[in-house]
Amino acid sequence: MSDRLAIATADLWKRYDDVDALSGLNLQVPAGSICGFLGRNGAGKTTTIKVLLGMARPTKGSAHVLGVAADDATAAAAARRRIGFVSDEKDLYDYMTVGEIIAFTRPFFPNWSTELERKYLSKFELTPHREIKELSRGTRTKLALLLVLCRGAELLILDEPTAGLDPAMAEDVLQALVGHMAGEQMTIFFSSHQISEIDQIADHVAIIDRGRLVVAGALDDIRDRYQRVQLVFAGHAPQADLRAPGIIRVQRLGRVLTILTNDREAALAEARALSPASIDVAPVTLKEIFLESVRTEE
Amino acid sequence: MLWQKAWLETRWRFISALVILTIMTGGNVWDYLATQRLLPRLGISTAQPSTPLEGYIADAIELQKDFRGFIFFQTFRQNLTQMGVLFAVLLGCGGLLAEAKKGSALFTLSLPVTRRQLLGVRTATGLAQCFAIAMIPPLALPLLAPAIGQQFSIVDALAHGLCLFFVAALFYSLAAFLSTMFGDFWRPMLIAFLVACIAALAQALAPEFGLFRVMSGEAYFRNGTLPWMGFVTTAVLASALLYSAAETLERRDF
Repeated sequence: MSDRLAIATADLWKRYDDVDALSGLNLQVPAGSICGFLGRNGAGKTTTIKVLLGMARPTKGSAHVLGVAADDATAAAAARRRIGFVSDEKDLYDYMTVGEIIAFTRPFFPNWSTELERKYLSKFELTPHREIKELSRGTRTKLALLLVLCRGAELLILDEPTAGLDPAMAEDVLQALVGHMAGEQMTIFFSSHQISEIDQIADHVAIIDRGRLVVAGALDDIRDRYQRVQLVFAGHAPQADLRAPGIIRVQRLGRVLTILTNDREAALAEARALSPASIDVAPVTLKEIFLESVRTEE
Repeated sequence: MLWQKAWLETRWRFISALVILTIMTGGNVWDYLATQRLLPRLGISTAQPSTPLEGYIADAIELQKDFRGFIFFQTFRQNLTQMGVLFAVLLGCGGLLAEAKKGSALFTLSLPVTRRQLLGVRTATGLAQCFAIAMIPPLALPLLAPAIGQQFSIVDALAHGLCLFFVAALFYSLAAFLSTMFGDFWRPMLIAFLVACIAALAQALAPEFGLFRVMSGEAYFRNGTLPWMGFVTTAVLASALLYSAAETLERRDF
């Protein structure tokens, strides 16, 4: 297992009853990156995170987090000292107050920073004597974030960290994460179906669909790699059977043939052979890449 | 940390159990005077019972003619045995699966501890609470008995408390095991009570193997010997249930 990977899974499968939630997932998250984990509802994001944290056992394959096998109960428990996790529901202990849950969590983590604790208590406007059951979803999210940001974790795993928050609160949370990351040597792996969030803070992205990884890599590389090649013909666009490697989708509409590819040169070579009146190459957005990747799977 | 969590989750059940059982035991001391006034008025002969029911009634009347027998019959054979089972089961219900229903299990599971540690701390806390609710209420007897001009030995109180504890621990372990199979509070509780009812019926059919005879400390009351075989049996069964609980929890997906 490479030291430079914060997360690595190999042919990871997870079956619930008759449904494969993960179907041979091969995921690699480089250490030091902010990796957005994108997928539709039910794509397998939360299952992946649960397997990584030892909350669910893989049916087949392996998952390593910070170099430790996720299904090795004792080693994984020790590794969780270096990991922070926020679940999508952000449910904490309702019978504790804000101050009590901080005092409860602190001793588990030898690198806990009381300085950061004070900073985030103030920044998130959290009152120690307030009971957790009284907190709004947004405030509970902030408390959950405080509990992971103060522990000196090397890896943060966040499952839909902004789910259910209003845009202003979501922005606060994202800014807190980016601001925290700037001062720490850490990796953030966060799932979302908000493409704009991933565009905003991630430098790596992994797109999952039906339990399999469909796109992964550095966001800049992906943007460079994925291009839209638009061919305009004098008459109707031909019914071409394009077979160049990297072609993801071909769309024909009147005089225009649009090719989405992740191998521009191969697509261009084949496109030129069709003798179009003009060829235009344009970048595609992450949203388009996501939608096309997911559509390809259907 | 984990101890604090286990305590916070069960404190009200434990405190309620302790208060109710202690008040109930203390109340039995005062009931003795009233019973002594009432018994002769009943005019029931205990000489030659002809049916098992008459035998039971005769035994009950004979037992209650002195303070030690009255306390054994009312407190240890009835109140503390029945209520002890009830509270042991209540204390055993809950845990990670119940937390999963509330949503906080993922936070717990993200802490740097194993599931065995979580279960271990919860079990140790629960068994300590069972020990307290088994030992403290009987100790009210030597304290309160002089108030009505009677005596109750501390050694007797402790011996009966120990008997209560072993069987309460078994029912606690049963509820803890069932709580690793069912996420709600009701099914583990109802199944554990059903098991208690079956054990009571089994005791009626074969009194020598009675679980509740161990719990009431009947052998100690009649012969002065602790039911060591019963202790060993309940300890083995409780250990097997807790081991199964740990294994079930280890395999479970959250």
